[in-house]
Amino acid sequence: MILSEKTNGDDKVDYTIDFVTSSVVNKISIKFIFLYIPILWVAGYMAVAVFFDVSRYIPWYINMLFFPIWLFILYFIFIFGIAIISKAFLLMINMIHKPKEGVFKAIKGDQDFEFWRLRVELKKLVFWVMNNGPLPWVVMWGFRWMGIQVDFSSHMQDAWSDEGFIEFGRNITIGQGAVIMSSMVIGQYLIIKKVILGDHSLVGGVAKIAPGTVIGKEAVVGAFTTTIPNQEIEPAWIYFGPQFAHKLKPNKYAEQRRDVIIQKDVDKEIKYEVQQEVNIDEDKKDLLNNKGDE
Amino acid sequence: MSTPASLKVGPHTTLVLVKKRYLIFYVFLIWISLFSIQFEFWWFWGLYNEKFIHFVLFLPLLLFVMYFSGILVSLIFAKILLVIVNLIHKPQEGVFLRDRSDRNYRYWSLRSVIKKWPLWISHKFPFPFMDNICLKVFGVKTKFSSSLFEGFIDTEFIEFGKNIAIGQGAIVQSAIIIGNLLIIRKTIIEDNVVIGVHSVVMPGSHLRENSILAGNSLTTVGFQGEKGWVYIGAPAKKFKKNVFFEEDLEEIIENQAQKEIKIDLKVEDLYTMRKDKEGKNENSDNH
Repeated sequence: MILSEKTNGDDKVDYTIDFVTSSVVNKISIKFIFLYIPILWVAGYMAVAVFFDVSRYIPWYINMLFFPIWLFILYFIFIFGIAIISKAFLLMINMIHKPKEGVFKAIKGDQDFEFWRLRVELKKLVFWVMNNGPLPWVVMWGFRWMGIQVDFSSHMQDAWSDEGFIEFGRNITIGQGAVIMSSMVIGQYLIIKKVILGDHSLVGGVAKIAPGTVIGKEAVVGAFTTTIPNQEIEPAWIYFGPQFAHKLKPNKYAEQRRDVIIQKDVDKEIKYEVQQEVNIDEDKKDLLNNKGDE
Repeated sequence: MSTPASLKVGPHTTLVLVKKRYLIFYVFLIWISLFSIQFEFWWFWGLYNEKFIHFVLFLPLLLFVMYFSGILVSLIFAKILLVIVNLIHKPQEGVFLRDRSDRNYRYWSLRSVIKKWPLWISHKFPFPFMDNICLKVFGVKTKFSSSLFEGFIDTEFIEFGKNIAIGQGAIVQSAIIIGNLLIIRKTIIEDNVVIGVHSVVMPGSHLRENSILAGNSLTTVGFQGEKGWVYIGAPAKKFKKNVFFEEDLEEIIENQAQKEIKIDLKVEDLYTMRKDKEGKNENSDNH
């Protein structure tokens, strides 16, 4: 039975998902404010309490002199406070309902959909706070802290990333404005599938990575390229295409990047071009050249 | 997770051409919203000497309230200014000359300047519904269920249905400048429409119910969509029927992973005229 094509009367219906939509929460509600207020309040309280507890034992002129440093310290207390409290919330939510991959109904009342929305809105606050600062290490730490498998050898601070189910290899570059989606809403359905990026791969600027994409080692996804769901990007190839990624050419830069470059001795040898003179009379030389015509 | 934060590419407020003489409105709105924040803080400072514990405990919550009130005050005053401006000159659709002598163009610039600060301040915060409130105040028909906060949306001559999802970094416009002309046309997006990542909706587009504009695509000015279709490409063309509103498709969608999808031919059919195929079509027509 071919599952992708279900006959509906006489017309064949195309069920393949070969386009990309978006991973924003398609139904928002005002109840998320009850998630934000406690987190912001407690994290803000941590910063305020530290300020008033410490600053009262310090003379005012020293406080004034070091006020910029104060602001810096308070900012960090605030963002790490938000990260810690959100993580506590997230652990609680994940204990109630474990996040899982699959296809779910994107309607109110579906448990998977509701918890997906909750997770997205919760992590959004952390990523927002982290991303509004100028420090890339903090952003990467935020991604790691909220459950995206990534380490400090890769960088993703100018890109969008979804709330989870993303696995990074080592030394990956993600371009500015790229969108890595592990979830996507199509019609009534929510698709959640893991995205895997191999070692040393590169995603260009404003590229879109659809859920279920597997990017091989040393592969390049060009700028403005869109991958379709469940697409496999082969290792050491450059892919390009605004509507769907297709093979452009092999990634030669991958070879250069490798630690050991094997240089063949043959290439190093100096080549001489030798003209071989034939010892015949001058008037008979054009006979040699015109041989082919006869 | 929100566009203003994690996707640092693209605008988040209305399109504005910089004009020095409109700066006064801008400064006024910023001033009045910051003044409300200052007033609240001054009122709250009274607790500092009397009840220090209360002061420290409620200070973070007050900062939160201050942000909200800053947005609301700027929105209210922007609305008042807009009402006055619209009384003097009613916003009109059409094609106008991009020049100071054109009245429509002048007032369009003025309206966008007035809207810029409230939109910016409400877009900067990670609440998903702040944009909806902001757009509702400015007179755009929306429902609270549609998520408009990830993209960039013009604030007049736009109609939204419910459950709309506008993708990350997508742009929905009702006014553009092309060369010497300013084009203002009404953009309508009906219920359950999904606009993909980084796609652009040009002025005058009409996306009807249950349709999808796929990621990275672009509609033309005056684009008329059909009900329940998937549109793809730049310029957007009919791709296939949107059948994903049917019931019980979970199994079918999950099975897509095992199949190799060949989209090459489909897209090629949309955008290229192949000579061999053209010949075949002609032959079949002749028979």
